[in-house]
Amino acid sequence: MTFDISDLLNSAPLLLLTVAGLVLLLLEAFSRVRLVGPDYHHKLPAETSEAVAVPVPGSRTYLMPLTVATLLATLALLASQAGGAGGDGVHMYRNMLVLDRFGLMMSGICVLGALLGVMVAPAYLREHKMEFGEYYALILFTLAGMLILIQASDLVTVFLGVETMSLGAYVLTGSWRRSARSSEAAMKYFLVGAFVSGILVYGIALIYGTVGATSFVKIKEMAPHLAQQPLFYLGWLLLVVSFAFKIGAVPFHMWAPDTYEGAPTPVSGFMMSCIKTAGFAGLIRLCAGVLAAPETATQPFTGWGHILLVLSILTMTLGNLGALQQDNIKRMLAYSSIAHAGYLLLGVAALAWVGDEARGPLLYYLLAYTLTTVGSMGVVAWLGGDDAGQERVRLEDWAGLAQRQPAAALAMTVFLLSLGGFPPTAGFFGKLYLFRVALSRPELLVPVLIAIANSLISVYYYLRVITAMYFRPAPSKQATSPIQSGAVSLAMLVAALLVLGFGVMPEWLANLCASAGLGG
Amino acid sequence: MSMILPILTFLPLLGALLCLLVPREEAGLHRGIGLVTSLVTFAASLLLLPDFEPAKMSYVVRWPWAPSLGIEFHLGIDGISLWLVMLTTFLLPVVFLSTFTAITDKVREFVVCALVLQTGMLGAFLALDLFLFYVMWEVMLVPMYFIIGIWGGDRRLYASIKFVIYTMVGSLLMLIAILFLYIKGHEATGVWSFDYDNLRKLVLTAAEQKWCFAAFALAFCIKVPLFPLHTWLPDAHVEAPTAGSVILASVLLKFGPYGLIRFAMPMFPQALLDWAPLLSLLAVIGIVYGSLVAYAQTDIKKLIAYSSVAHMGFVVLGLMMLNSRGVNGALYQCLAHGISTGALFLSVGVIYERRHTRRMEEFGGLWQRMPVFAAFLLIFTMASIGLPGLSGFVGEFLIIIGTFSANKAGTGMPQVFEHATLLAALAATGVVFGAVYMLSLFQRVMLGPLTNPLNRKLRDLSGREIWMLLPMLVMAFWLGICPKTFLKDIDPAVTATLSQIREKFAAGPSEGKPYMLGGDKAKAAPGKADPAAGKAEPAKGNPPAAAGGQP
Repeated sequence: MTFDISDLLNSAPLLLLTVAGLVLLLLEAFSRVRLVGPDYHHKLPAETSEAVAVPVPGSRTYLMPLTVATLLATLALLASQAGGAGGDGVHMYRNMLVLDRFGLMMSGICVLGALLGVMVAPAYLREHKMEFGEYYALILFTLAGMLILIQASDLVTVFLGVETMSLGAYVLTGSWRRSARSSEAAMKYFLVGAFVSGILVYGIALIYGTVGATSFVKIKEMAPHLAQQPLFYLGWLLLVVSFAFKIGAVPFHMWAPDTYEGAPTPVSGFMMSCIKTAGFAGLIRLCAGVLAAPETATQPFTGWGHILLVLSILTMTLGNLGALQQDNIKRMLAYSSIAHAGYLLLGVAALAWVGDEARGPLLYYLLAYTLTTVGSMGVVAWLGGDDAGQERVRLEDWAGLAQRQPAAALAMTVFLLSLGGFPPTAGFFGKLYLFRVALSRPELLVPVLIAIANSLISVYYYLRVITAMYFRPAPSKQATSPIQSGAVSLAMLVAALLVLGFGVMPEWLANLCASAGLGG
Repeated sequence: MSMILPILTFLPLLGALLCLLVPREEAGLHRGIGLVTSLVTFAASLLLLPDFEPAKMSYVVRWPWAPSLGIEFHLGIDGISLWLVMLTTFLLPVVFLSTFTAITDKVREFVVCALVLQTGMLGAFLALDLFLFYVMWEVMLVPMYFIIGIWGGDRRLYASIKFVIYTMVGSLLMLIAILFLYIKGHEATGVWSFDYDNLRKLVLTAAEQKWCFAAFALAFCIKVPLFPLHTWLPDAHVEAPTAGSVILASVLLKFGPYGLIRFAMPMFPQALLDWAPLLSLLAVIGIVYGSLVAYAQTDIKKLIAYSSVAHMGFVVLGLMMLNSRGVNGALYQCLAHGISTGALFLSVGVIYERRHTRRMEEFGGLWQRMPVFAAFLLIFTMASIGLPGLSGFVGEFLIIIGTFSANKAGTGMPQVFEHATLLAALAATGVVFGAVYMLSLFQRVMLGPLTNPLNRKLRDLSGREIWMLLPMLVMAFWLGICPKTFLKDIDPAVTATLSQIREKFAAGPSEGKPYMLGGDKAKAAPGKADPAAGKAEPAKGNPPAAAGGQP
């Protein structure tokens, strides 16, 4: 029952995010606001009651750079920890968290996604007249929750991480207060999320009931003897279900298209990439780290490998079929993110057969997917709103974009080609690594074939967007210019260059991912 | 000189990057960059010709790319790829010349697309790493999709998506087969490698070979395109701009036969024997069907597109005969088709630019207004028909001879074609049909009375257009009169490849675990083949010589 002071040092990224979040919250509270009418740009007439507090122009411009600086510092801390000696499985806070390279890399992916997303945020929030300073603090708190989940080595910390992460995400989803869709999205996400929390706790309780402990180390010791026990199995199944909700796997995906479509675009990008990454980290730890025993994992029908395989095939197929019919680009990307969760689940399932070798490809895929998703959502956000204040997300809004905004169209093309798995992009190598590792077992041949057929389907709807941007004439009516922001352009440039860079030179990143060990 | 292949591959890409640095308004400068880059690339490719050693891979470079995956940047060139590479570098300047007035919108984008496409094409012809080949194969796809989709005709959206989906179906199946080979190669040797030299020696079980060959062959046969996988081609050709049609017909289609002879056939000889009867039957159906459908067309471009189906059917037929005449003829036909069909599409572009229609009934009697053009078109028509002395003759002649002799001893392979003579006879009707539809095209467009008043003011060829068509004319004659120039490189490489196929066939399929064919035998030089091959060899010089002597 002693408190080890080195724990503080080992959890420095987590602490940094939390403290910075609190500081940002305070700074926001003391920044100047003024009351204006709903029309925003006009001074408030005295008798109108619907006053909103908006920041005095220029008074909060420091929030985004501060957040970016925090995230960069967090990345640097994570990198130094990964390079340091503590990179292979140091337990913290009496076994509640674990510090290992896998967790550090996954955290790094989340932080990178958040970083690029935050750079898009201020211009987007200003464009849609929804500036509020808590945004950045909430992002940091959500991120802290993800880090807890990613580094959890106890079911209690898993719960803590999931809840911290989700609370922030609920608020962020509903933060576009004047948009009914955003409120709807938040409500849906919240109700489903609250329900999932119940499932998660129930699962934890069942496992605690059979094992007598919540620590991963203890469960891992007992798992081989308990795997056949119905209550333990049921508890584990409930945990899988709750993670399947978080990553948006079919049939637990119903909330995902509406939530991703309704949420403010930078938030959607953040949720589609980072929350998914954190959810996968939890799932991987739970399955491959805790229930590693291969003979039970690959059992037909009941082994976790098989269950995930079925989920994977359902998810990628239905996700792609859903995306095929969308004319709304944001919704299409939401469905495509479901499909990508399916490919990733195939990788997680492969862990049951192939073992640790499948983890590197998963990490690579997640990083490629995160960069691509944040980038493509960044382009969507960057197009801004039309005269009615709606986002420009319909396919016809994008017609002829290549003539009006060649740079944005080019960046979007890179992201879409990467999502579709064309070389030379990071998305292509992600798929290649994943499929290669899965193909080394004959049992996985059919799922891989299904995945490849699915990526063929996905090419169609990704190309539809490219077709609209390049081949269709621009509407004659001159559209208002998109968001003018150096930060957005920089974020998209970095994302596009990384996607191309990792597609041309995948070696360094692949080695890095392959070295990401799972600590005990 | 050792660096010539990577330089050749990336020169066009360099030109594309240069274009991106020049402001988009400078259309003339972009055209210039495109033309100069492609001319420099052509000049660089000429350096390959002196002292070329066709029977083995020359100018090989091997750089690690992703060592942990066993992916290498491995390029090499032999007699099979040499003239296809030359065709590519030769055509691009002509293509750029043809776009000077045809493409006035988004010139920079076009030049970038065409140059990236050239890098993809050269890279795919030169790649000796299966993974690199796949990447280059996909790199070709995207710019071609843009060329059809941006500068194409009215139904360009439909045509471009159809083109991509067809190609992707094949290429994803090919990717699965490549990954499968890669894993089996690891099983056999313990080394992760996509290297073609290694995987070529990998012996699989008969069933595995059958499926792998099917996956590779499907990708390549879609590209050829073999009947009944050809339906994307007329759409793509008709909707593509002239430049796109030329590149598509002259170079992109050649990846089908190239992939078959380079990858699918040597790697899976047992499966090849199972599939060859079906493929050659489809090829013959394609020849007859393509010819008949071509005759029924009223759109000039569609007619030429269907004639491509027929001509490329000859190529597949020749390859499947597995004797040196048939395969030599097939590769020769690739070059001839590249020149003659490319030239025909350029000619269609010439009249399309003047009249903005491709319907035959709109024309007639153009000879009176455009005598120079008429002379050019007549020669290209004759070349396409296969008149002796012009490019089309040698290839078709060799293929038909090869098909007739497919059952004769000397192939070193079991007798798979019971009715090869029948196949040859049917294929030969394609030559007759070819004369019918091509001559009727020429007659309906150029001859007869000049009835349509819109045609009265047509200009004859401009200087630029003459410069664009003249090189094609020279090559059409060269290919017809002096086949030795090309066959001296093609033939040794074909002989070497056929002896590899025989050797691997003789080793038989694996009974269970995959293993590597022993030693360096697979790299056998032409002379080292078994006696059966030796017998066939003296004969191979004759047909081309005879062909050359005939005019």
